[in-house]
Amino acid sequence: MIVVSEYVHNIKDTVSTIFEGMAVTASHFMRKPYTVQYPDRMPVRVQDTLPFRYRGILDVDLEICTGCLACERACPIDCIVIVAEKDQQTRQLLLSQFDIDIAKCMYCGLCSEVCPTGAIHHTTEFEGADYSLESLIRRFVQDPLMAYKAKKGPETDPKIAPILSRGMAYLDQWAQPGGEKPGGDEPA
Amino acid sequence: MSTLRTEEMTLNMGPQHPSTHGVLRFVVRADGEVMREAIPDVGYLHRSIEKIAEKVGYRGFMPYTDRVDYVCAMFTNQGWGMACEKLAGIEVPKRGEYCRVIAAEFNRIASHLLSVGAMAMDIGAMTPFAHVIREREMINDLIEELCGARLTFNYMRIGGVAWDLPPGWREKALAYLDHFDPILEEYNALISWNKIYVERLANVGVITAADAINYNLVGPNLRACGIKWDIRKDIAYSVYPDFEFEVPVGNGQWGKLGDSMDRYVVRIREMAESSKILRQALKKIPPGAVLAKVVRNFKPPAGECQIRVESGRGDMGWYLVSDGSGYPWRVHVRTGSFAAMGIIQKLSAGLMIADLVTLIASLDVIAPEIDR
Repeated sequence: MIVVSEYVHNIKDTVSTIFEGMAVTASHFMRKPYTVQYPDRMPVRVQDTLPFRYRGILDVDLEICTGCLACERACPIDCIVIVAEKDQQTRQLLLSQFDIDIAKCMYCGLCSEVCPTGAIHHTTEFEGADYSLESLIRRFVQDPLMAYKAKKGPETDPKIAPILSRGMAYLDQWAQPGGEKPGGDEPA
Repeated sequence: MSTLRTEEMTLNMGPQHPSTHGVLRFVVRADGEVMREAIPDVGYLHRSIEKIAEKVGYRGFMPYTDRVDYVCAMFTNQGWGMACEKLAGIEVPKRGEYCRVIAAEFNRIASHLLSVGAMAMDIGAMTPFAHVIREREMINDLIEELCGARLTFNYMRIGGVAWDLPPGWREKALAYLDHFDPILEEYNALISWNKIYVERLANVGVITAADAINYNLVGPNLRACGIKWDIRKDIAYSVYPDFEFEVPVGNGQWGKLGDSMDRYVVRIREMAESSKILRQALKKIPPGAVLAKVVRNFKPPAGECQIRVESGRGDMGWYLVSDGSGYPWRVHVRTGSFAAMGIIQKLSAGLMIADLVTLIASLDVIAPEIDR
């Protein structure tokens, strides 16, 4: 007798718990879907919705690069190659190569942390698919150019000033460890 | 009429098998559908991470620690950070420690979610996996806002964490926790208390307390055997003494103590406890700096140290030897998954082949953590 009652009880248990689970599934017909139709049916590009700290594909503003090689040294996998030599006539650093191998890069963010001007920085771009490995090497220097030299006082060149202020804002707000002031986020 | 001849069968499961959670291989000796033995064959994901540490230096190794266990990378970050700090005698600011705990506990929830969801999927229930991935995605969004990455976080640094909580993040995190607690109940109704599911897990792969200790199991696998051992409580590190939380242990409610169901339920309960810790941490977080002043050219004094962190897969050990130069002399990582692999051979005797999948899933082994 006990065996029969246990048998019936088991069936009852199974059916009731299955229906409990099905109720949860059914309730999802009433909820808003969480999925999005990437990439073509988005109201805004994904890149524009990403948080400011997002570590996407690296970009370099050569105008404010000081050629200090801090990023090259900080990179644990040596995916950054910079050639900066001192010009004999002008006694200034001449940048002749600034390559980043996007295929090797692991997006750790150690390079953008050490940059003194915020020249090397992460963008929110992440779509980097390409047909060859060669084309994944980003070559930033087209013609050799002078490295940026920090001036005493504020930057006056109207071309460079906005780039520099962007770089410094990037450093202040995000890139430098412990940089962001915890303003407005204190416990009540 | 002569009797039919039977013989033992040797099966290869893996290295490319959907339910082995990465690149694992088992050599199964089976008699029909009953296994005599399943011999784990590890090493397919060996990337010499410990040797890499000797080449890239203390700061450069931090992103590599993410790859030791990519499902809960915050703990590997924290372990490496703590080992370096202990060697160099650096004290992490209070707010930094809180940020670490908050990030790590969110990561623990994400890790356990994946574990319980993958377990359901391995057994054949597809729907729960979609549910847990949805929840994990929301945690990933929070962590992405915190540190800019969704999987390989590289959030912590020697001396604290890299970035403070962004403005408005606390409210978002608390709102998520308010959303998460009912979801856990819903998930339990969906699958955890399902009779078929319970019957499938109960009494499968029973580990006794003595065996668990002898085989060096750690974390949820150990606690499911009824042993209350949690590094966060017993060898408290960071700011864990500040929080009130329970250490869930298995109770053998559904079958024998230490079966697969116990291990599953311990993980479910741990998520609720993590949620409790997170609420306290987000409320108590003090103002101040998040990163101690550390010289850029970090060189700890010669010596050695051992650090223990309670990661998602249990007691994770970081052993670090320094010779005083800018590069570690030797680094060793002790992980819970490797210990868990050892017991599979013993447990598999007499199990069905289909139960091997349950067993692997319930031990929550992560392939990169086994080999490093």
